[in-house]
Amino acid sequence: MDPLIIPQPDTIPVSWGWFQFLLLVTFPLHLLAMNAMLGGLAICIIQHLKGGTVQKQLAHRIAIALPLVIAFVVNFGVAPLLFVQVLYGQFLYTSSVLMGAFWILIVPVLIVAYYGAYLYDFRFARLGSAGPIVAAVVFFLLVVIGFFFSNNMLLMATPEQFGEYFSHQSGTLLSFGQPSFWPRFLHMLFGALAVGGLFVALLGRFRKSIKPDLAKHAEQVGLSTFLFLTSVNVMIGIWYLLSLPKELMMLFMGNNVGATITFCAALLLVVGALVGAVKRKFWLTFYHALGLVVVMTFLRSYLRSAYLKDVFTLNELEVVPQYSPMIFFFVTLVGGIVCIVWLIKKTKNVFTMELERER
Amino acid sequence: MNYPVWFLPETGGGFLIALISILHVFVSHFAVGGGLYLIYAEKKGLKENSQAILDFTKRHARFFLLVTMVFGSISGVGIWFIIALVNPAATSFLIHNFVFGWAAEWVFFTVEIAAAFVYFYMFGRMDSKTHLQVGWLYFIAAWMSLFLINGIIGVMLTPGSWAENLDFWAGFFNPSFFPSLVFRTFIALMIAACYGYLSASFTADRDVRIAMTRFSAKWALVTLFIAIVSGFWYLSVLPGQSHSLVMGKSPTIAAVLPWGAGGLLSLLVVMLGAGIIRPSLNLKPVAGIAMVSALLVMGGFEWTREAARRPYVINEVMYSNSIFKKDVADLNQNGYLRTALWVQNKEVSEENLIDAGEELFLNQCYSCHTLGGRNNDIVMATSNMSYRALVSYIGKIHELRYFMPPFAGTEQEKSALAAYIAGGLHGKDVQKPQQVDSGTGKGVALFEEKCSSCHAPEDLAGAFDGVESDEIVGMLKTLDEISDEMEAFGGSEEEHKQLAAYLSGQEEKEEPEKVIDGKAVFNTHCTMCHNESGIRWKVSNRERQEIFTMLGKLDQLQRAMPPFRGTAEEREALADFLNALNQGGQ
Repeated sequence: MDPLIIPQPDTIPVSWGWFQFLLLVTFPLHLLAMNAMLGGLAICIIQHLKGGTVQKQLAHRIAIALPLVIAFVVNFGVAPLLFVQVLYGQFLYTSSVLMGAFWILIVPVLIVAYYGAYLYDFRFARLGSAGPIVAAVVFFLLVVIGFFFSNNMLLMATPEQFGEYFSHQSGTLLSFGQPSFWPRFLHMLFGALAVGGLFVALLGRFRKSIKPDLAKHAEQVGLSTFLFLTSVNVMIGIWYLLSLPKELMMLFMGNNVGATITFCAALLLVVGALVGAVKRKFWLTFYHALGLVVVMTFLRSYLRSAYLKDVFTLNELEVVPQYSPMIFFFVTLVGGIVCIVWLIKKTKNVFTMELERER
Repeated sequence: MNYPVWFLPETGGGFLIALISILHVFVSHFAVGGGLYLIYAEKKGLKENSQAILDFTKRHARFFLLVTMVFGSISGVGIWFIIALVNPAATSFLIHNFVFGWAAEWVFFTVEIAAAFVYFYMFGRMDSKTHLQVGWLYFIAAWMSLFLINGIIGVMLTPGSWAENLDFWAGFFNPSFFPSLVFRTFIALMIAACYGYLSASFTADRDVRIAMTRFSAKWALVTLFIAIVSGFWYLSVLPGQSHSLVMGKSPTIAAVLPWGAGGLLSLLVVMLGAGIIRPSLNLKPVAGIAMVSALLVMGGFEWTREAARRPYVINEVMYSNSIFKKDVADLNQNGYLRTALWVQNKEVSEENLIDAGEELFLNQCYSCHTLGGRNNDIVMATSNMSYRALVSYIGKIHELRYFMPPFAGTEQEKSALAAYIAGGLHGKDVQKPQQVDSGTGKGVALFEEKCSSCHAPEDLAGAFDGVESDEIVGMLKTLDEISDEMEAFGGSEEEHKQLAAYLSGQEEKEEPEKVIDGKAVFNTHCTMCHNESGIRWKVSNRERQEIFTMLGKLDQLQRAMPPFRGTAEEREALADFLNALNQGGQ
């Protein structure tokens, strides 16, 4: 077997644990926003196609929220992508070049999808029956982006594929031929669609005081969607687990204490979320699902480390200490959070006043 | 060499970076300046108690949101994607050094997005005071994004002491930080004014259109003036080589500057004529001209800034082809291919000469040169160079043309690269320089090795007639004094004599009486930058004598051109040739 080609990593300014922490804090934010975007849009299309007053109202509410959600999907994606580049740059830059032709396509595809989302929002009524078509195109484009991301994340974790560079110099290598690709991708997709159901239910709740029917319908649709798709996703999850190389699978079956405990926690959270959905208890379902998304990012992290452990561990990263920029970042972060809380507070005041007026 | 090369032979990564980044900066600067514009437009509406102006401001805010949130933010991510694909080594190096600068920028980006949404969606729903505070919060967050990115981008052009110590703060507050920050701030405000001018042209209400046109034009002119002044400040802090490149030594910059200057002039005319004097002339096509002009100004600046750090991607640290400056000496000694990760030919041999050369091209030249594309096509650039000339030229490429990185590798690797270009791309004869130790033929071999990249034998025919060999030996030792484009001949005493013998005609030449061929002179001296059709246009309508005179002061005609290095006879022959081209013949 040819030796693996793996670039030398650059030095990092603080211990890798900080970056891992920041990655694990920011990535769930991206996932939650992404789930709201994909799942919300899918439900939106179906509701729009079904017709009926309350269904159309719900579709419109989702359409209005969609551009905002996309903005935060992108924004919350920036931070984890930055931190993962610091930790695993030598793998991620390489895999990105190997699939460069597709990777760069994400940019124009996202621009088109994003403008499509605004078109759907701003012209919701005027588009008429073309509305769901526009929304479906946007949905398709967003799934395509997810497909490319899944390819890259798997490709970066499997450097044994890197040698194929010499026959893919124009950046056309993808990893969907690997046995674990499709279950991995579908697990992510179905998870997103399921959690998106909860976002829809949440969106309805914001209008509960003035549109109780809409809120009730949104919750009913959202929880049903979550229940059904999560049940399916449990099956896909098992498929995914079995598709992994045995050594990696066993990581979650006792070979690694941390991974096994996290996996068990995920299973408990799934059960809790499903029970909540069956009993139609929104907040019970919501918090379990929230915890599940966070725990899933831990599982991904364990899996990535295990994929790469023969060629690289984070301990190998050389630290050339410079802590003051990190302190600067944390100060900025606190300031940023204060600003956003202020914005939310001021906006909430407006909504409260308007709702009181409408009542 | 640490990362694979994304190979798009005819497109080239540089073109993609330029395309995405120029469009992005045009919008991202709008995102910064536009915040302040909205605040003052809203204040104007409130102060004049004009609902029509407030309506205009809201419409403009919607346009602003659609342009900056969608195209601006996604193309910003696009730049990150494309630089990581085209130059992963430099991107990784910068990301790892400035990760917390970028992370802080992400925080401001988040605040920016949230504030922009609140500003737009709460327009007319929130009390004016709070609404304006939201506008200010947006503008401050956006400007802080500029502040942070400015520091990181600046280090690539003017690294200062960071190049030595890699200290975050030394790099961030690099020598061009403040001039660049002031320049970009006012450029951002100027661009915002142009977008406002565009919005005004779409306004049906004539009074509002005129009021907001004048308002925008005043903004544009004042900010443009300050931007120009700060631009000179910016220029003054550039290090020597970068300064020279901007001032004309870089052909890339020289080609673009007239477009930027044209845009500037056009913008001034539009804003003054159809903004201040006759605002009613602000019709959609006129506003379109203003936008294109502003894009030319911004594009010209970005292009210049990028090209001014050549031959580096990170000035004084990493060359454009991802080779660290500090590694070049080692690579010259131990070989590039042996060290590079993403190559299949680890050694150069007779059998793999061209394949190894191709890999060297991919790793060392492709970052700036396409293969058959429009951007810096290597095939065009080398079409008239022989294998031997290329071997010699590649070896001193950085000395002859500062903006090109030095070749990093062994003599064998240099030959392989030359073989790929001459043999692989042009199908020319690829023979190793003759290995002759002494006697007849050694002088020829030395000439081919040391001189033929710039001189053909026939070019020098007659130049040394009647000159003693000893005198020629002396001249060979002081070639660098004759022209700064040449370096002193570095051979042994014996080689000096052998080459001198060849040049003086004592060593038998094949055709000593050969007439100098003007076309050959053209091929040797001019074809690196010009082709025949291009040069025909440049000498059109000029007399032969005028052409001859021009050849004597090329560096005065255009700073990017080196002085003509040939002999008097060659100059005559070249003038004849160009004159013949001018007449329609050859």
